[in-house]
Amino acid sequence: MDFNNLISGLDRHTLDGITRGSIYALVALGYTMVYGVMKLINFAHSEVFMVGTWAVLGTYTVIGATAGDGLGMVIAATVLALLAAMLASAGTALAVERIAYRPLRKKGAPPLIFLITGIGCSMVLVEIFGQVLRVFFGRPFGRVTVNIPSVLETKTVFTIPGIDLAVSNTRILIIVGAIVMMLALDAFVNKSRLGRGVRAVAQDPDTASLMGVNQERVIMLVFVLGGAMAGVAALLYTVQYDITKFDIGFIIGLKAFTAAVLGGIGNLRGALVGGLFLGLVEVYASAVWDSSWTNVYAFVVLVVVLMFRPTGLLGESLGKARA
Amino acid sequence: MIRSTKTWQAVAFTAVAGLALSACGTTDTGGGSSSADDGDCNFKIAAMGALSGANASIVIPSVDGAQLALDQWDGGDCTVSLERFDTEGDPAKATPVATQIAGDESFIGVIGGAFSGETRATKTIYQDGGIPMVSQSATATDLTQDEPVEVFHRLVPYDDYQGVAIAKYLTDEAGASKVFVIDNAEAYGEPLADRVAETLGDKMVQRDKTEVGQTDFAPTISKIESAKPDAIMYGGYIAEAAPLLKQIRDAGIEAPFIGGDGLYGADFGNAVGAAGEGAVVMCPCAPIEDDSTFADDFEEEFGGKPGAYAAEGYDAMTVFLKGLEDGARNRADMLEFVNSYTGEGLSKDIAFDENGDVPADQVSYWAYKNEGGTLTPEVEVKPGS
Amino acid sequence: MSQLTAAYRGLRIGDRWDAAPKPVRWFGLLLVVAFAYYLPYLNILPFAYIRTDLTPSGSDWASVLFLVVVYMIVAVGLNVVIGLAGLLDLGYVGFYALGAYSIALFGSKSSPVVEALQVKFGLSEEWAVPFAACIPIAIVMSLVAGVILGAPTLRLRGDYLAIVTLGFGEIIRITARNLDGVTNGAAGITQVPTPPGPEIDGRQFFNTIDAERWYWLALTILILIIWLARRLEHSRVGRAWLAIREDEDAAAVMGVAGFKFKLWAFAIGATLGGFAGLLFGSKQQYVEPNAFMVQLSFLFVAMVVIGGSGNIAGVLLGAFLLTYLPERFREFVEWRPFAFGVALVAVMILRPQGLVPSRRRAREFEDRRHEAEEAAADV
Repeated sequence: MDFNNLISGLDRHTLDGITRGSIYALVALGYTMVYGVMKLINFAHSEVFMVGTWAVLGTYTVIGATAGDGLGMVIAATVLALLAAMLASAGTALAVERIAYRPLRKKGAPPLIFLITGIGCSMVLVEIFGQVLRVFFGRPFGRVTVNIPSVLETKTVFTIPGIDLAVSNTRILIIVGAIVMMLALDAFVNKSRLGRGVRAVAQDPDTASLMGVNQERVIMLVFVLGGAMAGVAALLYTVQYDITKFDIGFIIGLKAFTAAVLGGIGNLRGALVGGLFLGLVEVYASAVWDSSWTNVYAFVVLVVVLMFRPTGLLGESLGKARA
Repeated sequence: MIRSTKTWQAVAFTAVAGLALSACGTTDTGGGSSSADDGDCNFKIAAMGALSGANASIVIPSVDGAQLALDQWDGGDCTVSLERFDTEGDPAKATPVATQIAGDESFIGVIGGAFSGETRATKTIYQDGGIPMVSQSATATDLTQDEPVEVFHRLVPYDDYQGVAIAKYLTDEAGASKVFVIDNAEAYGEPLADRVAETLGDKMVQRDKTEVGQTDFAPTISKIESAKPDAIMYGGYIAEAAPLLKQIRDAGIEAPFIGGDGLYGADFGNAVGAAGEGAVVMCPCAPIEDDSTFADDFEEEFGGKPGAYAAEGYDAMTVFLKGLEDGARNRADMLEFVNSYTGEGLSKDIAFDENGDVPADQVSYWAYKNEGGTLTPEVEVKPGS
Repeated sequence: MSQLTAAYRGLRIGDRWDAAPKPVRWFGLLLVVAFAYYLPYLNILPFAYIRTDLTPSGSDWASVLFLVVVYMIVAVGLNVVIGLAGLLDLGYVGFYALGAYSIALFGSKSSPVVEALQVKFGLSEEWAVPFAACIPIAIVMSLVAGVILGAPTLRLRGDYLAIVTLGFGEIIRITARNLDGVTNGAAGITQVPTPPGPEIDGRQFFNTIDAERWYWLALTILILIIWLARRLEHSRVGRAWLAIREDEDAAAVMGVAGFKFKLWAFAIGATLGGFAGLLFGSKQQYVEPNAFMVQLSFLFVAMVVIGGSGNIAGVLLGAFLLTYLPERFREFVEWRPFAFGVALVAVMILRPQGLVPSRRRAREFEDRRHEAEEAAADV
């Protein structure tokens, strides 16, 4: 136990926690939006994120971006990779909805069944990158860790005076990127016409459809939006950690789902709060003890929070996200 | 439902008739070719390990290596086949496999288990079946040091030696006096790191634990930053070493990085990228001599550079094939042969001590440095001396 | 395919079975049980093609059967939680792990707990808690864990329960992995005891080679458990679960204390899971934390749902298929997980009610489908 480490490096740990939490939060959005509208845990969402990281690798490979490129190339590669990841993840999310969820919805199946098809889809997606594509295309696919070149090289941009905390360009990108995306999504859901449809279905699907809201379109929309956010998370993740692997989605997905519940599932701002909170808790606790207990910290905090606030920190409901 | 009685009579009749008819044919299951007579040389050798799942990339090259040895063998009147048994590295899936192999007398040897966990779970089964095992990569110390079984042999020295070798490299070669030791909290990384820490004594500044599947190592990085070590040791696997290294270098920490044989393999360079330049990997595998055609043959056959333990897999197969050449025609003879085997192998000179281990005076490690994505041998380290 | 299923429905096997005279039903049941005991020796064409050891790299048939039966016990236990009480438990592997660990911790000579006891009470180095005494320990440990987990969390709504139980499973695994001084950490515990029995040919009765004995033991226990579970399902408790599952609020109004009965379901499910774990650990003679990953929990839930949650015959079939098929088709080594995922999706879409749903569930399901269709028609 080393509380000194936590106290003396509090600024540093806070920055680390926010970085980690930002990625959780972005992935958590996908869980929370789908849940808000369909009352469904989309278990394949972790793999939607994983597909995004491969899209980043694919983009870099196609345009030949690598470490040490000039500024123009770095910006172009990052923007292209971002778009590719968002597109790939949104497409995957939509495909999952079409293949695994829509037929069940038509049959009025109970939620448990969706869970199993979600798990099934998740296995299929994992295996596509771990096995199927390897058989057809060889490396880099397969069950090994793959390096993604650090196109955006980490550099210290500025040092916060007084506390002497170095902030790097990748961290700024991650934190600012995550927050901007969240605000944009929040504004979209709360301000736009389509967003109003989303909120209406979340509040009361029957009434919404009576009012002329096309429920199927709203469902497609939340999968696409959630997927695109996972795509953003995928780009930020690769910038920070430089790797991808066929099974990296699982743990991120687990944590993001925990974050969504922690913040109040179905609540967009809850995803942000839950993600950051979870990231901070994990990093703080790992600083005091060590990282081998990370999941225990996460789940203990979850249980404690749910005992006092049974619907999460901010409470649930996408519809009531902003009354 | 008045007809019901009649229906059931019909069902009963059909069932009886069906049973009577089907009793005519039987399949040949299990122990088919049973124990062979002298002179009849028709055997199978089993390779048991994770051939699918997340860890398959550590195991498949060694089984391919074994296949290569078999392909290159001129068996004379012997027909030998290599059967691959997938366990996914999971002890629960390994036991049915082991029971099957132990029960089928046409198997005369086992290459594996590839991992320590499955080996721990199955070595008593093989012991009961009296079938000799030669493991290419299971390095847990307890496999031979606690409750040893006669049938188990391995081509790699156990982790206690490796821990000493790494510590020795750190102090003697890297000149480190403040080492930061990290492990992955798993059965492989933790004891290895323990041993390194023990040998280093007060030359270790701090210890931290991480876990498998982790990608964000920020808490560890901040601990490293404040400890200011002059070397970093990691006991774990490639999947976590890659992001760990990247984050260490991103934080501007330039201390040398060294890992155990869990990082060894052709995949290491692909996974760590530029951040892994200059990282050192300790491995009990001696560099393959230049005049050997092994690497080329392997690449031609399996379309890739020989990965982790490919040479050990080749050697394990060779031991069994030599046994057949020597006239071993049953498990007991083969076991006796393996117990007293000595010979020159691809990876090193091969012999087994009474526990089935590499004899202490032959234990040797090599430090490999990652240069431009390939692991190149740097220096030999003998932990024994 | 649809013709086949239609033909199958035309036979109305279920109705005929119910209408059959009692002796016929008893005889039928007896045949099934006898056949189950005979399975390890099944060697008659064409039935023998179900064996898993036909290909050169197959696995031992009796060992596979044993694992199938252990997972069947798990499925029956989890069915109490999911199928009867309608609680989504994604951390069932935690109880399974607890069962396995309790026999390992107390029964193995090399476990740190036993070693500590030896030192404390001055016992010999060969001493360990006998196998028979480990059974109550395992039951109590998993029961207590079920109550400890259930008491604070069962008040949560369905989906929250799912993530909390999932977390519980992870906490058990990580604790077992990290508490080196108690559980021997990631290296696991060897020398887990086996049930006592006469020595045959110089070997223990329950040894590592003769797996069919293990299978028969597990099968006997499974049959007992099925009998108990059926009694439970049709008891007052079973009806209370049904009421809670259908409509918790209505049940509460009628005086069914939701929380109490949910806790019962949790505790009973936990005990069965623990028992299955105990059998597994004992056969394996080795227990290590990585045998209890979250993914195993998902597999357990899939067994129950694929088979038809709420129906014991269904979940038995689910457990059988999901354990047996990957072993039977070992020759497709690396393709199995992919095929598994595709099958999960395909089966659930074609038969969302499960392969063998309970009648009540099937009817509930029909209602929901009509509702869905009507709702769709309204738009």
